[in-house]
Amino acid sequence: MKDSCSSASKLLEKYFDQEVTNEERSLVEAHLLDCPACQDELKLMEGLRDMIRTPVEEAVQKEDFPWVWQKIERGIQLEKRPNWWKSLRSWLDITPLHKRRVWIPAIAAIAILILIVTPLLFKKTSSYPGPFVVEYVESQTNNVMVYESEKSKVTVIWLFEGPEMESPAS
Amino acid sequence: MKRIASFFILVLILSLSLASEATAQVQTRIRIIQASNVGSNIDPSLRDVHGQLGSLFNFTSYRLLKDETLSLSPNRPAEISAHKDISLEITLVGQRKDMAELRVMIKRERTDILNTQVRLSPGRTVLIGGPKHGEGVAILALSARF
Repeated sequence: MKDSCSSASKLLEKYFDQEVTNEERSLVEAHLLDCPACQDELKLMEGLRDMIRTPVEEAVQKEDFPWVWQKIERGIQLEKRPNWWKSLRSWLDITPLHKRRVWIPAIAAIAILILIVTPLLFKKTSSYPGPFVVEYVESQTNNVMVYESEKSKVTVIWLFEGPEMESPAS
Repeated sequence: MKRIASFFILVLILSLSLASEATAQVQTRIRIIQASNVGSNIDPSLRDVHGQLGSLFNFTSYRLLKDETLSLSPNRPAEISAHKDISLEITLVGQRKDMAELRVMIKRERTDILNTQVRLSPGRTVLIGGPKHGEGVAILALSARF
């Protein structure tokens, strides 16, 4: 019986942790029926387990896991956020733009664009936009008359070239 | 790679469109009309401006002498011979989206008799008249197409 008890008590811990084989389980259970000492030991193990499990489960229920996860996430972001230069470098590294053969035509195109656009932006207009059609009129030899009609969208510049010539009706 | 190619094509199109804008030409129509009080003949090709001419002048006869459309480039003078000793020099001196500034010089025997600068917008006609022409006067009708 003593031998049987010592061999069964060795398996008792495994039995408690449900790690025994079917044969071992039958052996332990048969022994437990006739051995009050092993029964007490098993009850002690169960008591210890309950003593530990209950406060742990209560602590888990009280803990705010979303808040903990937010803290972890923030920590990850703070650690991993690169500066702008590193971001630019990483972007260049993953794109084919870092290849020189791509940059040359790109720079050439931008330079052409700047050359074309700059004169247009700084182009001087010969005069301010206004309602007048005739900006100036001059004749060193004759008198000149200007008549503008907004209604009919006609402007007349009349040169009085001789006293005998006809003049406009209005 | 397709994205890069698309980007370059876009830049190229933009450059070409800006270049074309920068070197755009203005189509200018110039009609030289002889107006007189000899007879009462109205040239059929002047029907579109006959109403304007009739309301502005006291002439009884209008005859179209020349009808030309010039593609004017900036600061490049174009010369037209109106009739005998009268010639006309037109220069595009300024240009905006819907407006062209033209300098017009009328010469008689290589002497300037009129020098003016006008702005032509869509639908606007500028009539320059007065120089003697035969038994009447010459009237130049200027209009631009954008």
